Amino acid sequence: MRYQIVIAGFGGQGVVFLVKVLALCAGNRDIPFLGTENHGMSQRGGAVSCDIKVGEFTNPVIDNGQADLIIGLDPNETLRNLHLLKKDAYVVSNSDRPFPELPFHVALSDGNAKALAGEFPIQGLNAYMLGVALASVDNFPFSVEEVETALRQINAKVADQNIAIVHQAMREN
Amino acid sequence: MKQTKKQTLMGNDAIAWGIVHANVDMISGYPGTPSSEILGMVQKIKHQLDLPIYAEWATNEKVGFEVAYAGAIAGKRTVATMKQVGLNVASDALMSASYIGNLGGMLLIAADDPGFHSSQTEQDSRVFAKFARIPVLDPATPQDAYDMTKYGVELSERFQVPVMLRPVMRVDHAREIIEMDAETHFIPNAGEFQRDIGRWAGVPRAGRLQQGYDVLDRIETIKAYNWEHHLQPKFDALKGGKLLILAGGTGYAFTLETLADLGIEADVVKIEMPYPLPAEEIKARFDAYEKVLVVEEPYPLIEEDLAHPKLYGKKTGTMHKIDEMKKEHILMALQKLGVYEGTNIYEVPKFDLGFDVPDRPPALCPGCPHRDIYYAIMKVFKKKKSIYPSDIGCYTLALSQGAIDSILCMGASVSMASGFSIADPSKTVVATIGDGTFFHSGIPPLLNAVYQNHRFILIILDNSTIAMTGRQGTPERFHQNIDIAKIVEGMGIKCYEHTYSHEMQENIDFMKTIKSEFEKPDHQGPLVVRVRQFCILDNERKDDWIPNLFAEVDPDKCVACDSCTTVYKCPPMAYNAEGKIEIDPFLCAGCGGCLDVVCPTDAFQLDAIKSKGGAS
Ligand SMILES: Cc1ncc(C[n+]2csc(CCOP(=O)(O)OP(=O)(O)O)c2C)c(N)n1
Ligand code: SF4
Ligand code: SF4
Repeated sequence: MRYQIVIAGFGGQGVVFLVKVLALCAGNRDIPFLGTENHGMSQRGGAVSCDIKVGEFTNPVIDNGQADLIIGLDPNETLRNLHLLKKDAYVVSNSDRPFPELPFHVALSDGNAKALAGEFPIQGLNAYMLGVALASVDNFPFSVEEVETALRQINAKVADQNIAIVHQAMREN
Repeated sequence: MKQTKKQTLMGNDAIAWGIVHANVDMISGYPGTPSSEILGMVQKIKHQLDLPIYAEWATNEKVGFEVAYAGAIAGKRTVATMKQVGLNVASDALMSASYIGNLGGMLLIAADDPGFHSSQTEQDSRVFAKFARIPVLDPATPQDAYDMTKYGVELSERFQVPVMLRPVMRVDHAREIIEMDAETHFIPNAGEFQRDIGRWAGVPRAGRLQQGYDVLDRIETIKAYNWEHHLQPKFDALKGGKLLILAGGTGYAFTLETLADLGIEADVVKIEMPYPLPAEEIKARFDAYEKVLVVEEPYPLIEEDLAHPKLYGKKTGTMHKIDEMKKEHILMALQKLGVYEGTNIYEVPKFDLGFDVPDRPPALCPGCPHRDIYYAIMKVFKKKKSIYPSDIGCYTLALSQGAIDSILCMGASVSMASGFSIADPSKTVVATIGDGTFFHSGIPPLLNAVYQNHRFILIILDNSTIAMTGRQGTPERFHQNIDIAKIVEGMGIKCYEHTYSHEMQENIDFMKTIKSEFEKPDHQGPLVVRVRQFCILDNERKDDWIPNLFAEVDPDKCVACDSCTTVYKCPPMAYNAEGKIEIDPFLCAGCGGCLDVVCPTDAFQLDAIKSKGGAS
């Protein structure tokens, strides 16, 4: 298997958390995994994007036109990284507005509006978008059970809440 | 054979485990992206497993290197970590250490940052290893980084010279499943200093000249070792043909994938130790090929050492010369060499958004006190009549407020303030520096300014942490008797003190008093201010500082004048569809800084419900 995922957002949204979750999913199934993360600019609010490559790869960076999926926690950060996608790739994004016509499969959900309405805490936005991906990406490489296991391994304390948010997203999308 | 286990790790965590599994007794260094997580992780492992390891941040890289180096002279196994520009600061010590050598193994980890992701230069630390004549290892992946950390410590002990490990950002911050020792059986090394004055205190000319000959001999020995243990077995296994690729570090990782993507076969040799290279032995193997391509980053080090008519790389314009490695660069090189005739598969699929995605440049966090202090400085020391030299840290981001005129390297704000004050005395020089940077390299230039009477204002932004690189502690944080004010007073001058206030007017009033002090006819030399503040991501301290005053906008008062989005620039503030400023409730930190002064029509007001802890 070879599957490449971009995760995009801005500092403070928990982008790296999703990388860790998917890394654990791959590790648990013993499939090779390579990822690259943004660390070092500690400020909140700067653009962050991470690459994840599941399967037989040797370098962690996703080149233009290669990714199978982008999970975006912010509409602008999703749009900024579309050049990394291959044709017919999946776009899963938090967005309060529709996207223009694109050569990709697009699944949008307004996570901010839901958080504002108190449907889940904004810290759960990353888990919510992961749930949207599970619901709408046909070739998503991991099952919801695998994601749940990884969420428990990474932080048992907030696992229940995160898992509930993932399921909420799967119901709603 | 040791039992191994598989674990998903980030490169820097893998290096930390390598350090522990190599029985390293001492690690000392200075934070800097992309190297910072290494020492932090060793500290975590040390505490978790209760290991007798010294793992501490030094005040700067030179100090960090020297602490570790002395440990290695005395027989301990040691590591010094830093980012590539940190090695500039430690280089004085490194150059001599190469002559003198060590007994216990010493690994110098210098993390490079091709692509300028978070560094002011794209310098290549491998070139520094060559300059200092010490061996350097260039890992391609986190797995390599783990293995080479252990190996490098052994190598250093074997050849009695510091060995450099040069991971790049795409190794430090890459994550993969790696295989490592299943268990940690830490065996400390005895430290016993053996007096050997001729060696440890060798002086010019005779002593150092002799050591210089030894260095040359040693490098020849290591070259032969590099050939025998690393390169010859690889070359012997090759077939020969049209193209040979010599790939260093991440270059190897990118090359293999590009070849696989394009379905091209070529012989690839991974250069694990790019210096010292057995050039003659390698070049003799070029006979079996039509062309040889070097893939390395960021400088053409291997290429320069192997100069040959068949050799292609950066210097021949075949590979990219600056910025980060990409598979596309390798594809294009293969096209230029006539090895690949297909299309560019790394081209972006065609689509048109019909608009530009707005930039999101890095900005100070919502609620960061740096923003307010710069705002106050600019209110009082007008731009036309001032020069604002600054330094390296989070506060550098006040660039976007127009509050910074120059940035060079850590500590330079103070010495450049001296220089500007001499060159252009008609302006008031107002320099800013963080407490971390002041301790790192701001003290000697301030001493210089005091004894030479240079007239400028220096504002020390004391948030009690090295925030930019992930909130490592500063010396005063862990040892409260260390006091910036006393250091300044020890130079014979007054240290003016201010505590950041979320009421902007108080910060402005303070800057006004500083201005009038500075303008008094009898004032001489530098005027130093320490502003006590905090970092909003500093969980230990922030609750004592944040007033939980959340802001909202009165749309009737907002006249869309842009004041807040150009001069103050707190990220939650943005125009909404009605053309009025709105505050993003998810981003507002409740610092209250914008509630006064910032808006000329007073449109920012308290969001009373949220400020009392309710939902907005
Ligand atoms: C020689 C050197 N070493 C390390 C770094 C990495 N670095 C960038 S900013 C910084 C220090 C920031 O601390 P401080 O001055 O306290 O400012 P703050 O970020 O807390 O505002 C460091 C160590 C560097 N740029 N140069
Ligand atoms: S990390 Fe801390 S010091 Fe840096 S911008 Fe954010 S609040 Fe300010
Ligand atoms: S209160 Fe004002 S200045 Fe403070 S974080 Fe919120 S918007 Fe920014």
